[in-house]
Amino acid sequence: MPLSTKHKSRRMHAAHHVGPNMTPMVDVVMVILIFFMLGSSFVSPDWYLTNNTPAIKGGLSDVKTNAMPATRINIKLRVRGTRTIAILPGLQTADLSGELATFLTSKHKALVKGVPVQIFISPSNGVPYKDVITTYSDCIQARFKQVAFRPPPAR
Amino acid sequence: MKIRGIKPMQDAHVNVTPLIDIIMCLIIFFLLVGHIAKAASVKGIKIPAAKNGKDLRDKSNQLIINLVPPTGGYGNDAMPSILIWSNRIPENQLAAYLRKQKSDNPAIKVVLRADRSIPYRFIAPVLISCAQARIASIHFMTRRPG
Repeated sequence: MPLSTKHKSRRMHAAHHVGPNMTPMVDVVMVILIFFMLGSSFVSPDWYLTNNTPAIKGGLSDVKTNAMPATRINIKLRVRGTRTIAILPGLQTADLSGELATFLTSKHKALVKGVPVQIFISPSNGVPYKDVITTYSDCIQARFKQVAFRPPPAR
Repeated sequence: MKIRGIKPMQDAHVNVTPLIDIIMCLIIFFLLVGHIAKAASVKGIKIPAAKNGKDLRDKSNQLIINLVPPTGGYGNDAMPSILIWSNRIPENQLAAYLRKQKSDNPAIKVVLRADRSIPYRFIAPVLISCAQARIASIHFMTRRPG
């Protein structure tokens, strides 16, 4: 028996509601998304000291090192008790992030413009990595461009 | 008199399917990124602070070398562990490993992620291995002071 017009419209109306209710799912998924987005923003961004002149070791015949400028400054790092001391011509200090940075900056300013300088950081065996990094950071702050690390003296 | 008003409107539903698709893609993206970041960096490393660091824009072709300090200090010839992608690499095999990586990907950049307390005698061999593998670009991972 054919359906009346009234029955047809009821059936069509019912068809619109078929399917799962997506609202709770969207709510949960949005919460997860916001959690991940906020979580990623709390992670502090990486911070790097870049170096294009890796460690140079005498006798490594297969290593092609960069051409080294004639003007060179050697910064020795030595451990005295619990502190690290920087020793270089004209300065001996334990204040690595203060006095050493100021000295290197004044040294760079005193140089003839355009003259390349090679800095060597020569830490001894026991110097903590953080002091090596602080010294390297000082060199960057003073705008020295060529900085290399010397291997520690043989044990 | 029968008044014929406006017909009741049918339920107007917003089509949420594309929205869910996009959100699911974003969630999978964040999950994968988190998983990769966790695999690349190892816990237990306190990286040193540096005032003059910078943010690297190009983070492609990075190889992160993790130097984890020994748990019981440096007595009895204890050495830091060298971990790359959670794999422990012996110090005497690091140069060979880096050479292989360099031959596979000539544009490789090494990121050194070492604990701030590690003595330089354990850092220098890593730098020398990079030099032996002809890797010219080394980035020291640091954190902002404060």
